Amino acid sequence: MIRVNNLCKTVVTGGQQLDILRGISFEIKAGESVAIVGASGAGKSTLLGLLAGLDNASSGDIFLHEQNISRMNEDERAAVRARYVGFVFQSFQLLPGMTALENVMLPLELAGHRSPAAAAQTYLDKVGLSDRGGHYPRVLSGGEQQRVALARAFAVNPNILFADEPTGNLDEHTGQRIVDLLFELNSQSQTTLVLVTHEASLAACCERVLTIHDGQLHEHSSVESAAL
Amino acid sequence: MITRGLRYLVRAWRGGELKLLGFSLALAVAIVSGIAGFSDRLSRSMEQQSHHFLAADRVLKTARTIPDGWLDEATALGLHTATIASFRSMIYAGDGMQLASIRAVSDSYPLIGELGISETLFGPPMMRSAGPKRGEIWMDSRLFALLNIEVGGEASVGESDFTANQALISEPDQGGMNEMLAPRGMINFADLAATGVVQPGSLVRYRYLFAGSAEQLAAYEQWLSPKLDDGQRWQDVRDGQPAMAATLQRAEGYLLLAASLGVALAGAAIALAARRYGERNTDSVAIMKALGASRRQVLVHYGGQLCLLSAAAIILGGLGGHGLQWVLFASLGALISVDIPPASWRPLAVGAVTALGCTAVFAMPPVWALSKVSPMRVLRRGNDEAGAALLISALIGISGIGVLMWWYSGDALLTAAVLIAALVTGGLASALVLLLISAARRALIRGASGALRIALAAIYRRRVSNAFQVASFALSLMVLASLGVLRTSLLDDWRLQLPADAPNHFLINIQASEITALNSFFEQHQLKDAGLFPMVRGRLSHIDQQKISDIEGIDAQDGSINREINLSWAADLPEDNRLQSGRWWLDANTEVGDVIPVSVEAELAESLQLKVGSELRFNIGGQLLNARVSSTRSLDWTSMRPNFYFMFPPNSLENYAGSYITSFYLPTEQKRLLADLLRQFPTLTLIEVDTLIQQMEVIVGQVSTAIGLVLILVVACALLVAVANVQASLDSRLHENAILRTLGASKKLIIRGLLIEFAAIGLLSGLLAAVGSNIALMGVQYWVLEMEVVWHGTVFVIAPLVGVLTMCILAALSCRQLVTQPPLVVLRQAF
Repeated sequence: MIRVNNLCKTVVTGGQQLDILRGISFEIKAGESVAIVGASGAGKSTLLGLLAGLDNASSGDIFLHEQNISRMNEDERAAVRARYVGFVFQSFQLLPGMTALENVMLPLELAGHRSPAAAAQTYLDKVGLSDRGGHYPRVLSGGEQQRVALARAFAVNPNILFADEPTGNLDEHTGQRIVDLLFELNSQSQTTLVLVTHEASLAACCERVLTIHDGQLHEHSSVESAAL
Repeated sequence: MITRGLRYLVRAWRGGELKLLGFSLALAVAIVSGIAGFSDRLSRSMEQQSHHFLAADRVLKTARTIPDGWLDEATALGLHTATIASFRSMIYAGDGMQLASIRAVSDSYPLIGELGISETLFGPPMMRSAGPKRGEIWMDSRLFALLNIEVGGEASVGESDFTANQALISEPDQGGMNEMLAPRGMINFADLAATGVVQPGSLVRYRYLFAGSAEQLAAYEQWLSPKLDDGQRWQDVRDGQPAMAATLQRAEGYLLLAASLGVALAGAAIALAARRYGERNTDSVAIMKALGASRRQVLVHYGGQLCLLSAAAIILGGLGGHGLQWVLFASLGALISVDIPPASWRPLAVGAVTALGCTAVFAMPPVWALSKVSPMRVLRRGNDEAGAALLISALIGISGIGVLMWWYSGDALLTAAVLIAALVTGGLASALVLLLISAARRALIRGASGALRIALAAIYRRRVSNAFQVASFALSLMVLASLGVLRTSLLDDWRLQLPADAPNHFLINIQASEITALNSFFEQHQLKDAGLFPMVRGRLSHIDQQKISDIEGIDAQDGSINREINLSWAADLPEDNRLQSGRWWLDANTEVGDVIPVSVEAELAESLQLKVGSELRFNIGGQLLNARVSSTRSLDWTSMRPNFYFMFPPNSLENYAGSYITSFYLPTEQKRLLADLLRQFPTLTLIEVDTLIQQMEVIVGQVSTAIGLVLILVVACALLVAVANVQASLDSRLHENAILRTLGASKKLIIRGLLIEFAAIGLLSGLLAAVGSNIALMGVQYWVLEMEVVWHGTVFVIAPLVGVLTMCILAALSCRQLVTQPPLVVLRQAF
């Protein structure tokens, strides 16, 4: 599903060259759930951004669904995302001008779905927000906002779901409910899950754990050996 | 596609980001189409009304008939023509006879406007679009009274007899006061030859009238011009009525200026609102892109929203503009005597192009920038906005404003002048504000505490946007101050300032023996006259023993010199006269010797190079009178009271045969009294100026009201810019103040800090506006309006005051949520 070959990312800040990722290679199979862990500033989000085609790599190749997205321009990568990818973010990233239902409808509309409203409502029902469809994000609690984000992510039936610290802005209890919901939906839809986190308990829910350290990637069979 | 676009639009509208932009666009369309439609229709109505003074679009004045081919050519070009021959002749009726000024008019006269006639003397007029038929003579009411006949009686001119079947109450091309001295009659042109009064060598003046489209007139003028000799004059309304022409030109200039500035202000408001719209949607675009939206989809999504928003703004703004025209004309209704031309599509087209132009120029650059937002922003916030992109969108915006103004005004010079003035002022203001802010922070930050410290820090932190805010607000204020001052000075200049009961009739040729009877007539009918002034007619022949025609620098052919002038005398300086030099006689008897003192009107004194002490010689009916200039005085020609170029002490002209003059006010409903007056005093000459005054008042009133209303629209534009400015900084303020309040700052402290900050911005803007408007006013007065250049000190008080008040009110209204929204909500929304 995802294949990465010798991926490098270098940025220049304050006149200094900074190597964030140094020749990373790995593979994620369809239906797998993988946690990417590492200290703050290790490059987790950078890697996630590159895997999802949100940013350009300095060198190396990324194959998403057998398509080399590192050779694509921004619009071609966007088309790949629209077709195969779903997202869940730490800060929910709901559009403030749209209601919960409209937020879920948005990726469906972008993908040209025929009845986006009905599909969106189905997923709102699945996350337990049937009666909040007409509410704007500002009147929803953090947990509710993240549930809307989950509904939005799964509504397009993505092959791959990228989640960036999905519980980072939530309290422990709410966070746990979101994690349960995330994995429940994931198992229902057989989606490949790539999750960036620094929480051991969340990483432990995944089948594989990849650790970034000093621009390199290390694979661990269990979360304990990842030494978060 | 459109349905989805509308749904997006409704969502975005509900989200609040589009409201200011949509409102700015709609207001721009309303203002532009309103002003365009209003000024277009107003100037067409004013032009129509002023063409009534000619009774045509163009007039060819000549002392002899023109070749037939000339009129044939005009007809071939599609122009309508009419012919008038004017001459003086005796009119006889029974035993009576009277010298009258007679006009023979062709059947098509008048080409524009109508004649007012009545079957009762001085009666209410019935309007007719054609003159007398063959065999008819229409005479003004006093001629009937002087000839002592009734309407329907017989009268003869030369060898022809006519039926005097109508009293002539008003003529569109009535002319000035000189032409109204003699009583008037009107016959059909076809009857002229039979009267036999026009012989070779007779003093006859011809007026050929032409009316048609601008193109037809231009084509004819081009054909005719080379054929005209010195004695033939081609006139349009601007040549025919200089005062009217100046009024029209100034009104046009003013409306043009106001409308152009309105466009510029609305453009600035749209640019600010669109920038904020772009900023507020940056995160949304990043999310959309992360969810798979392509750049094209982003452009279609946001561009589509803007297009739909523009369409809605065009429709609503167009309706608003039409409503605005309606309101403007409704409020002018009482003043406009001619029909308002129907609304045309042009103003809506102007509004539509303005909306689309503003959208393309001001709102599209932020949308273009949106399409380039990196989707990586969903994971890591960065500063996507490059300085170069900002500069480019600013340049596009300024060029856009320029193109719009140019297209709208059709005047490249005016556009360039206003734009360059705005840019220079804006640039200088920004630089000055940046310097002041840095200096104030250095000087005050240590000693300041509480609200002042917060305000200073806030001003400094947003110094670049504050500089822009001060510059744009200063520009708006400058525009307002300039227009306000211009309006006042234009009005002072224009308004006749006639009280409602200003005299509207003159009586001349009153003999001393008639004074007692005349006074009792006035008393009996409760008429108020301006007092009787004695009058002797004489011609000025020598200045300082030199013949006038021999003196260098004096135009002896000048109409005010080369004619018999009315000389008068008075013991006291007349009420509305002001001494300019010398002194008025204290006791006339002691000063009258061989050389009599004389007071001269100041402008005439200047053109004749007269000073106190200059010696004058007058020829009064063959007798010579020597006088020495003792004073010069200015007088108000528009007071409608008898005014004289030369005034002497009492009794100094007693040896010369003279008469008296007076003026009085007569309400329209009492006009019938004139017939009694003339019957009782048949030798008096009556001059009716009431129609002339009414016509002038209508036009002046129209123009001044229009200007006031246009000014209100420009104020609306300027307020929009100020609101957009305040809104632009709202998001960052919201976040900062939430942090301050979280850290324990009280609402009171934050409000005080905000008020100080905005008051400082308003004060600075007001001061800059006062300087800028004074400079701009000088330029506009000198080059555009061709008026006297005056420095306006009061603006230095009013502009800062208005600036402070406006900014504080806006701050209070717009920033309410800064202190009412819980800090937690704000901080949670921020990230």
